[in-house]
This record gives sequence, structure tokens and C-alpha cells, in this order.
Amino acid sequence: MENQEQQANAADALTQVIANKLDYLSTMQAAVQHGDDRKIYELLDQVRYYQEVKKTRTNRSVNHLAELVDNIHPQISHYLSDNLIDYLGHIYPFFYYEEFTTGMFHIYFGNWWDRRLFGDLDVINVRFEFDKTEYQKLRDSFALESQNQRLNTSKIEAISAESEKLQELVNAQPKRDNQKTQLREQLKENSGKSSMPWESGKVKTERQEIIDQLTQLADEDEKALNAHKLIKENDDKILVLSKEDTILNYEKQSIREAFDDFEHFEAHNASLYADYLNSLLGKSEGEVTVDD
Amino acid sequence: MINENDPSTLTTSGRLLNYNEAIKDGLQTGLTFTKLMDQLIRTTDPNELVDAATQLADFKLDSDYVTFPHQYSNADYYLLFMSRMLELHDQGSQVILQSRDHREELTQQLTSLGDRGTFNFRVETSENGGVFYRERATGQSLFYLNLERKMFRFNSHALTQLFIIDLHDTVPAETVKTSVQVLLDFARYLKEDYGYSVDFNILDAANRQNYAVRAADLPAGIVDRLFVAAAKNDYMLTNGVNGNGAEIALDKGVVVDIFNNQLEGQPEWVLTVHDDEQKISWFDVLLQYPFMRDWYLENLSDLEIKSDPLIFG
Repeated sequence: MENQEQQANAADALTQVIANKLDYLSTMQAAVQHGDDRKIYELLDQVRYYQEVKKTRTNRSVNHLAELVDNIHPQISHYLSDNLIDYLGHIYPFFYYEEFTTGMFHIYFGNWWDRRLFGDLDVINVRFEFDKTEYQKLRDSFALESQNQRLNTSKIEAISAESEKLQELVNAQPKRDNQKTQLREQLKENSGKSSMPWESGKVKTERQEIIDQLTQLADEDEKALNAHKLIKENDDKILVLSKEDTILNYEKQSIREAFDDFEHFEAHNASLYADYLNSLLGKSEGEVTVDD
Repeated sequence: MINENDPSTLTTSGRLLNYNEAIKDGLQTGLTFTKLMDQLIRTTDPNELVDAATQLADFKLDSDYVTFPHQYSNADYYLLFMSRMLELHDQGSQVILQSRDHREELTQQLTSLGDRGTFNFRVETSENGGVFYRERATGQSLFYLNLERKMFRFNSHALTQLFIIDLHDTVPAETVKTSVQVLLDFARYLKEDYGYSVDFNILDAANRQNYAVRAADLPAGIVDRLFVAAAKNDYMLTNGVNGNGAEIALDKGVVVDIFNNQLEGQPEWVLTVHDDEQKISWFDVLLQYPFMRDWYLENLSDLEIKSDPLIFG
């Protein structure tokens, strides 16, 4: 019966699909058992593997088999991280990794005081996920180098200039005190002046001028009173900025020692997947036979 | 009824006998004193020396009936004791004892420091007892000594003020080091030979020494400042090994750590100085590294190493 035949065909088809899945999983299992990390990576993303490592143009159809292991990515990542971090340690000696939860890694830049949390390491995709803000600071800081400047140079200069002005205001206190005494004398003189009707306008103007000057001096006195507090606050701001510059400087030094310049560093990051998997080719002890 | 303690009840000869006894007592005290002085000045036995000094430290020479117009103060016996102790360890030439003309009063100079410092002891009048070793011009009390309680405490504040600040511009670091070594040796003899309890404080070169800083909960900005200053001087402040502080590797294997010594509860920030030979103290670091010195002095109100609070409270 046609119906029975259809049923049988359906069973065959399903058996085949299940067999494919079993095959995928058992290949994966064998790869793990043989410590064949390369094979595991290939199974995780065949399309990318053939494009970037094999450099074949053939468009392999996406078979979705990799989705079978989606929910054990943390475990796979934890497993694969061992060799990957070992490899990264040679090429990026300045990165430190912390597995904050199974299979998830934070990247720290350097081992200096208050080093920055620089992003995450995506083990499954062999990729750095750098923190955008931090990365941009580093990029800017490299760019500013040609002008012989650090990232915060101009900010620090502006704050320093402000502090200097405040200090001048404090230093000028005795001078202002003298001026005030003189102005008060003038004010006394002014009010003692015979105020002939034709002179009264002039005396009034003079009086107002003196009062204006006194008011201005009083304003400056008040600013001077607050100056120490503001200078202290500025010192704290400068400290934060200098600290950031110091950290960025260490980061730049590290990158230069390992890659000569920022462009080479970025190029290495871009080809990390292919470089790493190529390094694994033929290296693993019991390589599982490639199935095509 | 005859009461020996009430002169009005005594006969004339009884009174004279009493008077005579009191004078004999007073003279005997004087004789005891001269014996102790002989012992303090002449003995070559360190035990006898300490014994004489301990007895003289609170010796009352005068009695009701016999008084001595020419007397050194008790504090002066300490100076004598110190000189003799160094002499018995072949370091007698490192201090100079000076007596004033026409006055019974001693002062001391450290030979290497010369007239940049004049020292004496000041008797502590509270019931704690003991003496402070003091630089006369600045009044800085460098250490506290109590012979009776076998206690010796260095004072970080005074050592810093005198040697790291006041004498910094005029006396070379090497000279300061040699001078302070004399005080250090004196304390060491008391500890090693007589089991004194000694706090060497910032002079302690042992690696295990934790120098507690004044601000138990150190503001983070202070470590940041060292980070920036170190970078300017081509040193790098790194994260500490234990993860709750910072570390800086100086020259010749000297490593300074600054960290919170308490993993939970009340924080207690401390400094440590490590070197393989255990010869370098925090004081030495301050003498040798201008940027460390600047950092310490600029943040002294938070960073000053604590001294025994019961003595220098």
C-alpha cells in the first residue's frame, strides 16, 4: 500500500537524520576522548572552519548539527580553554584570564596595580570580545602618541592651570587686604567731602566705583577661602587621570613589545581563529579521521 | 611610755642615738650608691652592668638626714649605661659622652652624626616609669626604655621626623644609617643578651615584620599615588600576590608590599619589606628611594607606621 510505503520512507528518512545526529555526537565524543581540539572546533562551526582554515570556496550547506551541543557550550568552553589559553599566553603575554563562571572568561590587561578588566574571551569562537570603551581609549592613546601626547594630557593641563589660578588667588590675599584698607580710606574721605550741589554727582559716582571695587575684592576673598578645597579636589581628579595615563602607557608598551604596533596587534586578533586552528593541525595525538 | 617613733617620749641620749642611726643609714645609702656607680663605670661583666643600671635607675640618694649637693640625675645613669653597654660590645667609640663644666649633667653624641644631634634621656614621670631617649634640639623621643620591665620601643614618628625629614638635606643617607645602627645595636644587645621585649618598628629588617600604617582602612587613592610615582621612576606597582594589595619590586631583590592584612572584618593595612638577606627595613627603603620617601611623607597622616600606642599614644 502506498500509505505503508510512505510510512516506511518516512521511517528511513528519520532514521537517517537521527543517524546523522548520532554520528555528529559520536565524532565529537571521540574528538574529546582523543584530545583533538581541532576536530572539536571543526564540528562546532564547519562553515567557518572551511572558510577560514581550509580556505575552500565550496559553500557547505549549514546542517545545524552544531546546535545539538548549544546547551553544553559552557562545558565545551571550559574544556577547550586549557589549550587555548596556553597558546594565547605565548602570543599575548600581557593578557590574564579569570574563569568567573564555568566556561566564561574575563580578560585582564597586565598585572600592574588596578589593571583594567578589558573584556571577555569567547573560547568557542576563538575571539576576544574587548570592552568597547576600554579598547577605544587604547586606540586613541596610540593615535595621540604621534603628537607626543597622552590621552589625558590636555585635561590634566587644564585642571593644573585652574589650580594655579586658585593658588594665585590665595597668594594675593595680603595684596587684596592692602587694597581694601586703601579703598575704605578713600570711602571715608569721599563721605567727608563737601557736597556742593554741582559736585554731588561726581562724588556719588566716585563712591559707587569704590564700593564696586570693594565688592569685587570680597568676591575674590571668598573664592580664595574655598581654594584649598578645590585644589584638593583637582589633585584627586589629576590623580585619576594620571593613573589612567600610566595604565595606558603600560598597555601600549606591552603591545609594542609583542606586536611592534597597534595595527599588527589588530591583524593578529582578526586572524586568531585561523592561526590557532592551524597551530593545532597535526599536533593532536590521535587525530580523528576527517569525514569527507 | 617610751615610743621610739615619737621623739618627745625619748630621753636625750635616745634622741641622739636615733639621729646617729639615721645618719648611718644615709651614709650607707651613699656607700651603696658609690658601689653601684663603681659597678656601672668599671664592670666588664654585662650582667653586672645591667644590674647596676637597673638599681640606679630609680635610686634615691638623699635621705631626711643626709643629702648630697652634687648629683647627676637618674637619666644620666642611662646614658652611662648605654655607653658602657656599647663599649662591652666593642662599639664604645660610636658614642661620645659629654659632661658639662661645673654642672652634673651628661649629654651624648653619636660619633658619626657629630654635632648634628645631641641626645639625653628624659625620665617618664607617670607611673609607667622608664625613660625616653631624646634629641635635645628637636625634642624627638627616638625610643623608650624601661629597665625594670625589660622593655624597649622605637618610635617611628620621631625616627621619621629627625632622620628622614629634619636631617635629610644636610646629612648623607649613609651617615644617617650608621648613626641609627648604633641605636639598633643597643636594642639588639638588650634583646639578645637579656631577653628584653623590643619593638624595632620601622628599623626592623626581618621579612616577617608587618608595619601597620596609621589609617587601618587605607584610602585607595594613596596606593594609586604610589602607582603613578613608581611609573615615573621606572618601577612598576603590580597587584599583590595575595590579591588584596599591591607590590613593588625595587632593586637587588627588595620587594615592598602594601596590603590589607585582614581578609574579613576590620581592615588592617600594613607594609612589608622583603629581601633575601633580611637586611633592609622600611627605614632603609625611605633612605634609599626618594620617590618612596616623597610618597610616604606626602601621605604621612595615613601612612605613618604605628608605634606602641601605650607608650607613644
